[in-house]
Amino acid sequence: MEDQVEDIELRPATVRRNLTIKNNVARQVAINFMPSRQAPYNTLRLRRVNSENNALLDAVASDTPDAANKQADIIVREMELHTHLMQNDPVSEELRREALRDLPQGLTMKRNVRAKLSASVSLHSKRRPISVLKRFQYRLSFAWKRTRERFRDLIFSIQLWYEPIRIIEGHLGTAVGSYFHLLRWLFSLNLLLSGLVVCFLVVPQVLHDHNNSTTTDLGWLDIISGKGGLEDSLLFYGHYHDGVINGSLPLSYNMPFAYFFTMFCIYVGFFLVFCYRTAYSYRRNFIETSGGLSNVFANKVFCGWDFGIVSAHAASLNAASLFNEFKELLSEKYKVKVKRSLCMKIFEYTVNTIVWVTVLGSMMALHYGVWALRAMTTRTTNWNLLVSLILTSVLAVCPLLFNFLVRLEFYRPRTSFYVTLARTWLLDITTLSLIFYYWAKSSTKCWETVLGQEAYRLVLLDSVVSLLLLPAVEFVRILIFKLNPKGTGPEFNIAYNSLTLIYNQALLWLGLLFSPLLAVAVTIKFFLLFYIKRVSVLRACRPARKVWRAAQTQTVLYMFVTLSLFTTLFGIGVLFLASTSDACGPFRQYVPVIAVIGEGVLGLSTHQTLNAIITFIIRPGVIGFLFVALCVSVYYMRAKSIAQRSMVDLLRQMLVLQAKDKDFLLTAIAKVSNGEWLYSPKPEENADSHTWRYLHEVRKPSNAGYHFDGSRLSHAFDRSDKPVRPRSERPQSVRTDGDTDSSFSWQGSSNYLNDLENRRMI
Amino acid sequence: MGQGKSQFTEEELQDYEDLTYFTKSEVLYAHQKFKELAPEKVGHNKNAKLPMAKILQYPELRVNPFRDRICKVFSSSNDGDCTFEDFLDMMSVFSQNAPKSVKAEHAFRIFDFDGDDMIGVSDLSEVVERLCGVELKLSESEIQALIQNVLQEADLDDDGALSFAEFEHIIDKSSDFSHSFRIRL
Repeated sequence: MEDQVEDIELRPATVRRNLTIKNNVARQVAINFMPSRQAPYNTLRLRRVNSENNALLDAVASDTPDAANKQADIIVREMELHTHLMQNDPVSEELRREALRDLPQGLTMKRNVRAKLSASVSLHSKRRPISVLKRFQYRLSFAWKRTRERFRDLIFSIQLWYEPIRIIEGHLGTAVGSYFHLLRWLFSLNLLLSGLVVCFLVVPQVLHDHNNSTTTDLGWLDIISGKGGLEDSLLFYGHYHDGVINGSLPLSYNMPFAYFFTMFCIYVGFFLVFCYRTAYSYRRNFIETSGGLSNVFANKVFCGWDFGIVSAHAASLNAASLFNEFKELLSEKYKVKVKRSLCMKIFEYTVNTIVWVTVLGSMMALHYGVWALRAMTTRTTNWNLLVSLILTSVLAVCPLLFNFLVRLEFYRPRTSFYVTLARTWLLDITTLSLIFYYWAKSSTKCWETVLGQEAYRLVLLDSVVSLLLLPAVEFVRILIFKLNPKGTGPEFNIAYNSLTLIYNQALLWLGLLFSPLLAVAVTIKFFLLFYIKRVSVLRACRPARKVWRAAQTQTVLYMFVTLSLFTTLFGIGVLFLASTSDACGPFRQYVPVIAVIGEGVLGLSTHQTLNAIITFIIRPGVIGFLFVALCVSVYYMRAKSIAQRSMVDLLRQMLVLQAKDKDFLLTAIAKVSNGEWLYSPKPEENADSHTWRYLHEVRKPSNAGYHFDGSRLSHAFDRSDKPVRPRSERPQSVRTDGDTDSSFSWQGSSNYLNDLENRRMI
Repeated sequence: MGQGKSQFTEEELQDYEDLTYFTKSEVLYAHQKFKELAPEKVGHNKNAKLPMAKILQYPELRVNPFRDRICKVFSSSNDGDCTFEDFLDMMSVFSQNAPKSVKAEHAFRIFDFDGDDMIGVSDLSEVVERLCGVELKLSESEIQALIQNVLQEADLDDDGALSFAEFEHIIDKSSDFSHSFRIRL
């Protein structure tokens, strides 16, 4: 099989092309009548068959209404072949609708086909009584479908920032648009989050506070640092009531339960949403498109143009970038590859390693510094604020340093981009985890509130950076560019900006539990960010000069958001749920916090059996067993996927071979129909060839009249263990005379070709 | 979105919803956009046929290198003039909800300049030339080299042209296609 692969991938280009190219049209017609095209198995195939038939019909006649009618007839006939499409029940009606929608035809044609179809359905369907249950099912699925459509309709009507994003995409390309899509998505999720938090936590607490009101006074520095008057306010964990709230109504509201379950639903629910989204995006952009050859040239040619562009400037930039990339690709392809010497390789690896070590080392030093700063006991008021300020500036500057550092290394552009992304994200998430760990392990009274304050400060200070500082820098840059247009104008740095979003989201995940109103703050921030970025992008940025592979980058960004959430969940599980929180907050009565489920909801101390069951389930042995089972199933899935991948490879090769077979057969048929059935096989040379076998086994006199020959079939099965053997002998001949068919020695065909040559010479 | 004084009846909208990838309000929005191209004409007859030059005023099409091909492919009279239904068809195929296979089908027809149901060498060189724009020109030998590389990657049966199956295979393996082959309404 190995050499077979090579044969396919390294086949000499253009050897045979010129020979076969002239028969293309006629051949395509013939192919359309092959059984595989005539008996489609699914609607997808069906579509193509129709269009081919129509292409045929188009050649015959067009424009007349009669021809259109005929086309519709053909399509209807094709569809009638599918019994599952032709039933008179809702399921096949839905299938018909989808098949119709996927037809590559105009609306008029679709309507025509639909009319004919519904006429024919009533004729074709086998009438069967439908059971009540079935009918109920149908009705349910119909209602569900309608609701879904209504919902989609509604979503479109209330879609936020539709037109602005479209304009941005039109001027700066889809890649920059993807940043705004991420922003919009995070904004709408946070809006939902804020809604949940406000409804279930803040409003009840406000009602409670209303009953026993306290007054606080605020200094302006308190607003930034979250201390003083703000410390014991709705903003932070410590303020929330730890018992039942009795309003004026005869209803009561258990605050600890509410707090626990709201947070639980938010974290777990959003984790699932993010996981699903990431997995979906990963599947679409990495798995489904992986494997096989990387079609760099074809991809550039067919997918290079961004159809969403509207401005002439962006269009000319897109054309120029494609032009440059074509040139680059070609020069890369035909460049004599200088083999890197061993020394060079070792040097490159050493440099890469050194840079990695430096980066990780400086990260650790940074973390140590943060820890030391935090642990320092000073008399300075607002020491906390100062530390947060330092943290924010470090986190804003470091990505730029990483961006610079990666240029010293020897990576391909794409890898270096991912490396920078990964480093920045790593820095962000480790710093946040460190803060979490520091406060959780510190002996501060009510550390939860302090952590909430820290997150609040970081969000606030980061707003200053991303809402004021960065746009100002961008404007200054464009100003410099306008005064001195020799240099290149600033491009919108998608990676850096997206990472800012991700950092904010990670901060929100960390702080949400300890400062519920942080969700509202981040939502407002994202809202403002959208408008500020829109202005700065449209005024101060130019379209990227390189074609940006938006799809895969977006997947990576989603992955980072999900990973941050996962890290936070892990931290909460380890540091918060298992510890006690008896100094403040809603869980004062529960030791440890997780007891809110065990004691509060389930009442384990009173239910002995339940207690026993749960104690059994959470024993290390059981969890270990589950873990091992999980590992085994993951391993199994992995093995399966590898097996399937190799199967796909095999099938692909078979497809290629089949295509070649077909090509060969069609050429043969063309020659036969030209009256060149005068060949003489050379059995002495190649007794194994198809032609030889064909002559001696199939076309022997006893087989005249096309009756079915069982022995031939069994013989074919005998050989099925090496189905591609005759093929594997062919590459030699390809290379020697450049004609794959020559090993079959068609005398007639060579005569024919000679004829052609002679004619051309004349 | 102007539901009140719409030019369409509920049945017509339902019909469009069934046959395209749009919802009703998207159909109405598309009609609004169509109307902007020629307010007078479309105001009188909602399904008026606009000449190709008018359709090409649509912002995304105006700068597109394949604009005339797109119009021709979607025009029901095959000359590039489009009625509203043709326009709706076009937008539906370019919309986010259209599956890759449908997009591939139409992309194939757009790139198939000579209409022989194969993307041959001449089609490919036309595509490359249009992609690079009017100012920048690749030399003839560069274009040929490029085309040979494309064929080497994509032409599985070695016949010097891409059939639909081969084209679809390329599209299937490209993660960027559905991103780039998209026009937002």
